[in-house]
Amino acid sequence: MACGVFVPRAIHALVLAVCLLLAPGSSLWAAEPARRIVSLDWGLTETLLALGVVPVAVADVPGYRGWVVEPALPEGVVDLGSRFEPNLEQLQQLKPDLILATPYQNPLKPLLERIAPVETIAIYEEDASGRDNGNHPLERAVAATRHLGSLTDRQSEAERLIADTDALFTAARQRLDAAGAEAHRPLYIATSVDERHVWLYARNSLFQDVFDRLGLSNAWQAETNFWGFSSAGYDELADAPEARLLLLRPLPSGVEASLARNPLWNALPFVRAQRVALIDPVLMFGTLPASGRFARLLVLTLTGAPL
Amino acid sequence: MLASLSLRGRDSRALLPALFLLLLLPALAMAVYGLNDRLPMREWPALLAPHTLPQIIASASLLPRSLAALLCGAALGLAGALFQHVLRNRMAAPETVGAAGGAQLALALTTLFAPSLLDGGRVWVAFGGGLIAVALVFALAWRQKLEPLPLILAGMIVTLYCGALGSALILMNEQYLVSLFVWGSGSLVQNDWSAIRLLAPMLAAGMMACLLLLRPLVLLELGDEAARSLGVPLFALRAAALAVAVFLSTAVISSIGLFGFIGLAGPTLASFAGARTLRQRLLWSPLLAMALLWLTDQTVQQIDRLLGDPLPTGAITALFGAPLILLLLPQMKAHGGLWQGTVSVIRSAAPWRRVILLAMLVLAAAIVALCWGRGPQGWRWIGDLHELTPLLPWRLPRSAAALAAGGMLAAAGMILQRLTANPMASPEVLGITSGAAIGMISMLYIAPSAAGFTHVVAASAGALGVLLVILLLGRRSAFSPDRILLAGIALGALFDALTAVLTANGDPRAVILLNWTMGSTYRVDGAQATLTVGIAVVLLGLTPLISRWLTILPLGDGTSRSLGLSLGRTRLLLLIMTAAMTATATLVIGPLSFIGLMAPHLARMLGLHTVPSQMAGAILSGGLLMLAADWAGRMVLFPFQLPAGLMATLFGAPLVMWLLTRKR
Repeated sequence: MACGVFVPRAIHALVLAVCLLLAPGSSLWAAEPARRIVSLDWGLTETLLALGVVPVAVADVPGYRGWVVEPALPEGVVDLGSRFEPNLEQLQQLKPDLILATPYQNPLKPLLERIAPVETIAIYEEDASGRDNGNHPLERAVAATRHLGSLTDRQSEAERLIADTDALFTAARQRLDAAGAEAHRPLYIATSVDERHVWLYARNSLFQDVFDRLGLSNAWQAETNFWGFSSAGYDELADAPEARLLLLRPLPSGVEASLARNPLWNALPFVRAQRVALIDPVLMFGTLPASGRFARLLVLTLTGAPL
Repeated sequence: MLASLSLRGRDSRALLPALFLLLLLPALAMAVYGLNDRLPMREWPALLAPHTLPQIIASASLLPRSLAALLCGAALGLAGALFQHVLRNRMAAPETVGAAGGAQLALALTTLFAPSLLDGGRVWVAFGGGLIAVALVFALAWRQKLEPLPLILAGMIVTLYCGALGSALILMNEQYLVSLFVWGSGSLVQNDWSAIRLLAPMLAAGMMACLLLLRPLVLLELGDEAARSLGVPLFALRAAALAVAVFLSTAVISSIGLFGFIGLAGPTLASFAGARTLRQRLLWSPLLAMALLWLTDQTVQQIDRLLGDPLPTGAITALFGAPLILLLLPQMKAHGGLWQGTVSVIRSAAPWRRVILLAMLVLAAAIVALCWGRGPQGWRWIGDLHELTPLLPWRLPRSAAALAAGGMLAAAGMILQRLTANPMASPEVLGITSGAAIGMISMLYIAPSAAGFTHVVAASAGALGVLLVILLLGRRSAFSPDRILLAGIALGALFDALTAVLTANGDPRAVILLNWTMGSTYRVDGAQATLTVGIAVVLLGLTPLISRWLTILPLGDGTSRSLGLSLGRTRLLLLIMTAAMTATATLVIGPLSFIGLMAPHLARMLGLHTVPSQMAGAILSGGLLMLAADWAGRMVLFPFQLPAGLMATLFGAPLVMWLLTRKR
């Protein structure tokens, strides 16, 4: 009787133990890290590259080069096409061990899992609470860096990237503090959609987290979506007269010329006081490398000298 | 004849101004309130020479925005009334003649390939694109002396083609073209008076031309024969009136953006409220459209203040306008098909030889689609089954589902065109694809992490919902064709509005949505392909049984009834069959493939005129087009993939255009 109960339990425990060992992130997997990694998101790609891992293939190579810029993507990384519809035939023939994706690619998951295990890493994620979920992408990027480090057996590189980025923030903050009040004006950080609309990054955005670390204040206080931006007309940028406007490159064509002719634009306080700056592309939906790049661009723009 | 809509037994003279004021007064109140909020009333005189920032904002942003709404509304309403009158089609709108599509394509092309041209002002780029597209439409319809039917057909195809090309550009360069999303969704946000300064003289010129054309246009109401006998140069008159309408709509499109529904809503509202004569329609259509757009825009501004996220006014107009049309529909007088008797029933010599040839072509194409493709090693023909096996799980479901979906949409389009005796009819126009799409999109936003199967359920529910609405509306009029089509257009506008709102707010999921609406077979797996092919085999197998109905129905209600057809029941059965085929196909290739529209025309242009042979030809050419489109979409920009529905439009539209000029 006792034996009859005992045997299935033992089998059960054995199965459970094997399952735990095989679960992603457990020691058995960590001992043999995935070698052929594919990344479908630019943010995850930049962290991988910063850890010294070159993925076999990534989604949208030209897009990465134009919008993320650094860390530079080595030649020979295979292009999988769109981030929203990565080429599955191509992917299968590359025989990857692991596919990295983010929540917006969840609809693809059943297809991708037929090729290789899929690891979904969330930095920006909509939750049930609605639009403004009090997300802190920088914290989640740190966690994602550690996670990617353990997946690729680059734990020490991951800790070094986290520490380096942290040190970079500290140095940047000191440089800005030394630059005084002029460098600490409230900032609008925006992407120009066309000559009438902008996307403004604020709460829930990576840029806001970097502002917080550098002791900078955001001039745009409105509610944002879970990607950390809200869209607005230029006339709504008049509420903070002492603010500075940072516009992310690349600007849509024709916008610069038509703004120059525009009376409302020319009447905005930061335009009158010539406090508008264009900054180089940096991934607004990025991870740690993007946050570091953004901090360096901020120091360059606000103090006039590179960090 | 031009359909005269009316509210029976009501005093139309009082109704028109009452409706106008009902729309205008709340808009005015909100405008005054909004301006006062930004700039206290005592400072209003300073608006003429603004100095402070609030004054500049009020004068450069708030005032021109209201004026832009009024001018756009008036211009589009007037253009819509002219189109409807001249084309004798109450579904005609500024988009129908290709102006909108051409303008948007010109902007997309310029943004990508010659951005320096935009520095001179995007207005002129869009204007040029719109005019070229319209010229192409007129050239295609020239041999038929710009008769309503060929003109609308040509306009629709050119619009489709421009739209498909523009969408392909957006998909390939998603991040650079965000501004086109915003423009396409009709934002009235203004920064200065430049758009007003451009638009106002154009509108004035258009109105002057309208006054000059008024007298001969009134004679057009008597019918072509009568008008001709009174010495009216019909061709020149139509060309001139259309030129004015095109001028007005391109002016709006190029200076502000797209507000398609307003051009349709203005004249429709005017007719519903009892504008009977041309004079009345030309007066009240612009007035009502103007008030409607202003009211919508003011309401949108109030909502913005609460939500903080600017909504695109043009899209919201459709959200208001579409239900309005649906509400008013039951009041409309029942009316027969607009083109009764124009569908040809001539027999051709050896139709079945052509059908067999087409079938063999489909078979060959299927083999090529499975064996030939690009991979990491470049182009390869894989004839070896052992080597092909690992690739088949990707290639086979997509090809099979595309083939089946194309065939079903073609059959659905064929049924609808016969049923309504309207060559513009298609499953896309009926609104069933839109319903399926709304269901699928809601799922994408309510439960973004949900699995594929929930999407199938949601889309089916949406399609079924639309079908029920159509059945309810249709029952009162024994499924009167044009009423069903109008309901479908309203639902389609609702769907457009929904997608426009979602895409303009910059949600990255918009790209997934865009891919799917453009007809991507990317997510089709084995199970879905099996289901699609299974349903296709059953439903397409039933098509020979309905040949007799489809032969008789276009002859008109009276003839059909006298031949012993129970109109209500026949139409109901045909509608259910169409809906089932459309819903299944939509789940695979999205709501906007337009195969259903093109395939029956292709079959007819291949010389297949009898119903059974045209049906077979339509199914085969629809399937072939979709199969080829899916393959090409995977190959052309490898590793990037273009949606099959989009490719089908890129292939099919020029084909139809060429056949259109060649033969009649």
